[in-house]
Amino acid sequence: MSTVINNPAYNYKVVRQFVIATVFWGVVGMAMGVWIASQLVWPEMNLDLPWTTFGRLRPLHTSLVIFGFAGSAQFAASYYAVQRTCQVRLYSDTLAAFTFWGWQSVIVIMLVTLPLGYTTTKEYAEIEFSGAVWMAVVWVAYAIVFFTTVVQRKTKHIYVGNWFFGAFIVVIAMLHVVNHLSIPVDWFKSYPVYSGATDAMVQWWYGHNAVGFFLTTGFLGMMYYFVPKQVGRPVYSYRLSIVHFWALITLYIWAGPHHLHYTALPDWAQSLGMAMSLILLAPSWGGMINGMMTLSGAWHKLRSDPILRFLVLSLAFYGMSTFEGPMMAIKTVNALSHYTDWTIGHVHAGALGWVAMITFGATYHMVPKVFGREQMHSTPLINLHFWLATIGTVLYIASMWVNGITQGLMWRAINDDGTLTYSFVEALQASHPGFVVRFAGGVFFLSGMLLMAYNVWRTVRVADVRLAEREAQIA
Amino acid sequence: MPEILLGALFVASLWLTVECCLKRETKQSLEEASLIPFADDPEVAQRVERATGKVVKAVAPEEAKVGWMNLEM
Repeated sequence: MSTVINNPAYNYKVVRQFVIATVFWGVVGMAMGVWIASQLVWPEMNLDLPWTTFGRLRPLHTSLVIFGFAGSAQFAASYYAVQRTCQVRLYSDTLAAFTFWGWQSVIVIMLVTLPLGYTTTKEYAEIEFSGAVWMAVVWVAYAIVFFTTVVQRKTKHIYVGNWFFGAFIVVIAMLHVVNHLSIPVDWFKSYPVYSGATDAMVQWWYGHNAVGFFLTTGFLGMMYYFVPKQVGRPVYSYRLSIVHFWALITLYIWAGPHHLHYTALPDWAQSLGMAMSLILLAPSWGGMINGMMTLSGAWHKLRSDPILRFLVLSLAFYGMSTFEGPMMAIKTVNALSHYTDWTIGHVHAGALGWVAMITFGATYHMVPKVFGREQMHSTPLINLHFWLATIGTVLYIASMWVNGITQGLMWRAINDDGTLTYSFVEALQASHPGFVVRFAGGVFFLSGMLLMAYNVWRTVRVADVRLAEREAQIA
Repeated sequence: MPEILLGALFVASLWLTVECCLKRETKQSLEEASLIPFADDPEVAQRVERATGKVVKAVAPEEAKVGWMNLEM
């Protein structure tokens, strides 16, 4: 090994802040999810208050887990990985700190406004005008910090993980701005500049790519850094990772229309969305296989390393949900699955199985390093978290599959005279057992998250500043 | 016909982009790039070298400056 050992500390302060925010918003956002799941089992859980009805808390749940939990995780992971792979400190401590406090204020705005009923009504883009503008300002600051750090790098190559983080930052900025183009009539009320089918298309161009870039591309950047690091092997094929990058970012952006099958959207656009979704399977699985094969010769590590287990299971769920997605985008399959709980199950296969699991793995990897500990407070607790999260995810997605197919079949059933066989309420009653199982799955998953919070707290409580500073040196 | 041409153009541009990215890369340079995550962590780098037989290179970064103007102009 040829190393030139020298000085400077990385900026771990902002990483530490985002790591803690990830855990905090994870607990709050997932608790919100369990709460609204309980409302579908016991409707009285909406407390008969306008602020706590399903319609207001559901967007709050998605906003907290997507932007609070997953967003903070990506800030933490990208700031950590970009410094370490560029071997340079983050550009501007002040601007990095601004992105932390700015991003947290965006989440607080969501936390306050959404229960009050201030919403654009656009899925995953519910934050109203002034909040959306502030969010864009914070995001631009993030882009400046990230890309300037890459420009200042001391390595010859820009590591592939940073390509994924970079694409995630650029595309999310574009999607957010285009989808939020609107005419404000108030601080918290605006009307979109688009109308009708165009508005729907722009929204689902955004909506699908929120999944594609916010919940996939950034996390693939995470995968390309943390999986090799935790395994102790370089990525299986660097060449494949570059092909994976270009193919993924080229194809993802076209798949949005599959959310609008059998609507007023022109048929050619629906077919384009379906075709692109099917082609998307290739890069998705290319990346998944590249991540999995990184374990070649090191599979035995799975026996003793629960952090690696989180990372590998997340790839398995990524593979599963990126197979399921294209299948659901086929129009004839979508005719059964659309508007049913199958879609909710599919989203959570990705959200719980892929996004949350890889975040858990990356967080357990980072926490000891940025807080100056040799390892997490308790490895058995990580192991227990792993099993709670796995059981929770399986219960969730299995119950939603059963519910989705039941609902799809009941809604479509017709009698000989052409009338509907079942009323909507009958389909809802048939879904009740599935709602109970989904609630149980959520409780399992949230319990794991609480264990993680406890484990992180116990690790952080005895943080060693000297060791953290030593970790923050290049070598 | 225009759809087929558009599709062909789409595939060709994807292929060209990937080729552009990879044309200057050699097997050695790609291997070097893949080892970057270990380059600033001597303990892990040693383990990787023992496990893979590859040499992990690291470079020394510059001193960090305080404040907004860290960018070398």
